[in-house]
Amino acid sequence: MRHGVWAVIGLFSGVVLAADSGEDRELSLTIYNKNLALVEHVRPLKLAAGQQRVEFAGVSAQIVPETVSFSAANVELIEQNFDYDLLTPAKLMEKAIGGKVRLVHTNPATGAETSEIAEVLSTVGGTVLRIGSRIEVLRDDSLPTRVIFDKVPDNLRARPTLSVLVNVAQPVDQDVRLTYLSHGLSWNADYVAVFDEPKNALSMQGWITLSNESGTTFTNARAQLVAGDLHVTGSDSAMDDVGFGSARRTAGKDSGSAPPLADYYVYPIRQLTTIANQQNKQVSFLESANVKATKGYEISFSDFASRDDPQSAQVRVRFANSKDGGLGEQLPAGVVRVYARDSRGQPQFIGEDRIGHTSAGSELALRIGDAFDVTVTPTLTQTNKINRRTTDYQMSYLVRNAKPSPIVLTLRQDELWRVNSVSAESIKGRRTDADSFAWDVPVAANGESTLTFTLRQGW
Amino acid sequence: MRLRAALLMLALPALGAAQTRIISTQPDSVSLTIYRDFFALITETRTVDLPAEAVTLEFDGVVDTLIPQSAVIAETGRTVEEGNYDFDRLSTANLLRKSIGRKVTLTRTNRATGKASQVEATLISANDGGVIFNTGAGAEALKCSGLPEKMTFEQIPADLKLKPALSIHLAAGTPGKRQVRVSYIAQGFGWAADYVARVDADANRMNLQGWLTLRNFTSARFESAQVQVVAGRLNLLDVAGRGSSTLGDSSNILNEESLAYARSEKLDELQSSTDLSNFVADYFYGCYPYGPAVFPGARDKLPMLMRVDSITSEDIGEDLAEVIVSGFRAPLAERENLADYQMYRIPWKTALGARQTKQVAFLHQPDVTIERFYGIRMAPDAEADMDGDISQLAVHVGWKNTRAYGLGEPLPGGIVRVFDRNGDGSVFAGEDSIEDTPVGVPSELSIGQSPDVAVLLNSPSDDAKATLWSLLTRRVYLPIDLSISNAKSRPVLVEIRQGSMAHDRDLHVSRATLRPGRKAGDYAWRFTVPAHGEQRLSYKVGVRLDREDD
Repeated sequence: MRHGVWAVIGLFSGVVLAADSGEDRELSLTIYNKNLALVEHVRPLKLAAGQQRVEFAGVSAQIVPETVSFSAANVELIEQNFDYDLLTPAKLMEKAIGGKVRLVHTNPATGAETSEIAEVLSTVGGTVLRIGSRIEVLRDDSLPTRVIFDKVPDNLRARPTLSVLVNVAQPVDQDVRLTYLSHGLSWNADYVAVFDEPKNALSMQGWITLSNESGTTFTNARAQLVAGDLHVTGSDSAMDDVGFGSARRTAGKDSGSAPPLADYYVYPIRQLTTIANQQNKQVSFLESANVKATKGYEISFSDFASRDDPQSAQVRVRFANSKDGGLGEQLPAGVVRVYARDSRGQPQFIGEDRIGHTSAGSELALRIGDAFDVTVTPTLTQTNKINRRTTDYQMSYLVRNAKPSPIVLTLRQDELWRVNSVSAESIKGRRTDADSFAWDVPVAANGESTLTFTLRQGW
Repeated sequence: MRLRAALLMLALPALGAAQTRIISTQPDSVSLTIYRDFFALITETRTVDLPAEAVTLEFDGVVDTLIPQSAVIAETGRTVEEGNYDFDRLSTANLLRKSIGRKVTLTRTNRATGKASQVEATLISANDGGVIFNTGAGAEALKCSGLPEKMTFEQIPADLKLKPALSIHLAAGTPGKRQVRVSYIAQGFGWAADYVARVDADANRMNLQGWLTLRNFTSARFESAQVQVVAGRLNLLDVAGRGSSTLGDSSNILNEESLAYARSEKLDELQSSTDLSNFVADYFYGCYPYGPAVFPGARDKLPMLMRVDSITSEDIGEDLAEVIVSGFRAPLAERENLADYQMYRIPWKTALGARQTKQVAFLHQPDVTIERFYGIRMAPDAEADMDGDISQLAVHVGWKNTRAYGLGEPLPGGIVRVFDRNGDGSVFAGEDSIEDTPVGVPSELSIGQSPDVAVLLNSPSDDAKATLWSLLTRRVYLPIDLSISNAKSRPVLVEIRQGSMAHDRDLHVSRATLRPGRKAGDYAWRFTVPAHGEQRLSYKVGVRLDREDD
């Protein structure tokens, strides 16, 4: 089937014998996390003998042209072209330099039209025309003037166009294979977790969201998703330039049973799917009703200072990605939205956090938000300079709990200098690493606790 | 591997087989939970009549600012094979782009005669650089001739949606009516807490009222919705990173001040934006260069399209100004604990119009014990400039958030506007903001400067020379001598705080003529200054000499 657009362009070209490839017989997509996909089209091609150009309609509008590979038996590939010189009014005029255009002037008083032929001399700053023996600037008089071009240059395109110039010894009628990388296709994992605090349980659902902003609809595609951070060179804002190199493979042959790609996980979607342009498609991949999870309060201070206003403690929900804990799956990176049920049993959104690619057996702690009712007021009660390099800081942390249940707050003092030690602590703490200490402060329901300690630090 | 198995079972429906399509036109009931950071969780209940076979279920009338990956469709009683969100919308740019190769009609109107002439054309290019069409006579660029030109399209390209559509494919199952729950997060909603404090200064009493100010910046209308708001600071991710917040990642917002700033910036942006402005900006305007002299004039004519059925910003401004205040005697919004946040539920179903602001009371504590005092905080770096100056003291209203003091309610952060009782009426005395305040935590407002209560700092600064003693202790001692005067006809409570410099947190006060207390690490003196009286306070504050401290 000839695509309508190319039929129109064809009217203006006609220099080279042009053929269109047919519709896809097979279409495979390997979609990566990072706005990147490997696309493979298998199309029937019917060619007469001779040198000719074959245009590929319906390829991704965000194709990375230098990654295109075309393979067909009995067809000699002469060159591959990717034309992205877009057909715009400015380009049209520029390409008409040295050529003739027709001007139609409209008399503003009478509406009468007069027509004349002009030669385009320049388009720098304005369009300079030679009309007979006079030189004029187009529409310098502000009067309405239409410019009519006889033809549109062959090498200007309404859309970027992929074509190959081939030489065929004998007429062929066969399938050809076209593969390339494209931007605009990506997938992400999204998780919904409903936290049941009294039961210390999370109910987790995972969704794969495919999104297609490539400008093209992919119909009846065999799709597979690859999880893992691929190295992509030359990151330049959203449009990553790609040097894909060795990780590339001939995708799509046996996507259902393909082994994992090197160090990445591959998730094939077994049935053919259509991904429309500007569509988000969600498919479920995980459902775990009873994941053991606990909630904790924590706060970190990286300086020694007094504050008038209390600081809120952070709430975290911890769970293990293990079989014992009710999960134990390889989780692709994504955003986890956490919900809790309100007094009427309706799930309400309580916060979101991002998880990285998480292998089974990992521990996860989701940051939910700040506790409204658990606050800490820090006071630096005294400093004592021991010597030029060492100072004692006497801290007092007032922890308030306005909740009707007791809590334990983990308070951390971190980013300490190389030499550090704690003395005179009101609650036994622990060293968590070379430059931090932590204390677990229990606070009664609707109560207050004070943690005091002296921390010596120096260098 | 179990996950792999799960994925293999992602049964995407076989294509080609035409599926039954059911359109749910509207929800039976809607619940709207508004968060402070300009989004809402919308939960809809919809009744659908499902056939036994596999079916595509389309949900009409979802709020079009929805974040597609946040959509959850529950209680379908069947396997959800896939969810789709199509947002290839009808816009001027899309209409042109998708009409390439199609026939269009070009109408040119003669300005002199008013006569319109029509010509058939084929659209051959439409992109950011402009639009080119071909008539039988040749190729021409649209809106480059200076003539009024209009392009008419025969039809809307089939794959463009009039509005974004949320749909799911359901597997075959038991037929019959079901109530399906559709929930998603949508942008363009917000709320704030506003307080009115009527203060009786003589009696040290305050009547505190709290209002929820709900805002809908979207074009969605809710006729009868269950509305909740959530108070507290959620951990959020930026929308660009597939999160829910347009304010950026919470972890990058370091403190309450920067959060408050980000919220007010966003509020201004939302209040001044119109939905249609984006729509118009999408149109292609490019031309070849023509006479430089005509360029400005020609440009002026281009926005003609913008005036076509667009809403002016004035209209929207008026709409926003129309704040609907529910009756004062209306029952209060009900509070409940939601996880570690406070949630307020409006106990009746309410309507929330497009671009509407609505206020509902959530707190009324008629008799709160307060303390009104006048204060100043001294700091060593500020004192040098203040020498010999008279400074007015700040007016503070403080309270402790406990039942014993007549309060004991969580207070979501917001602006407190203080009105002083003045005979039968009241006067506006100033405002301040409070952060989220749980029960048990004291609050202190600073509502302005008092012209009647002032402090004179009288400290000969040349007295602060390094002495032998200061060399030994590595400190200099600044003598501070304050006299606080009260021009009011009643005694006032005064609080003087002595703080430390930011980079020298070591603070030593000695030889004070009044005994100091401590407040948030500072030294603090509290005393009463009699009517038309004066009180002196002097002390020495030690400042460390060396700078390589810490």
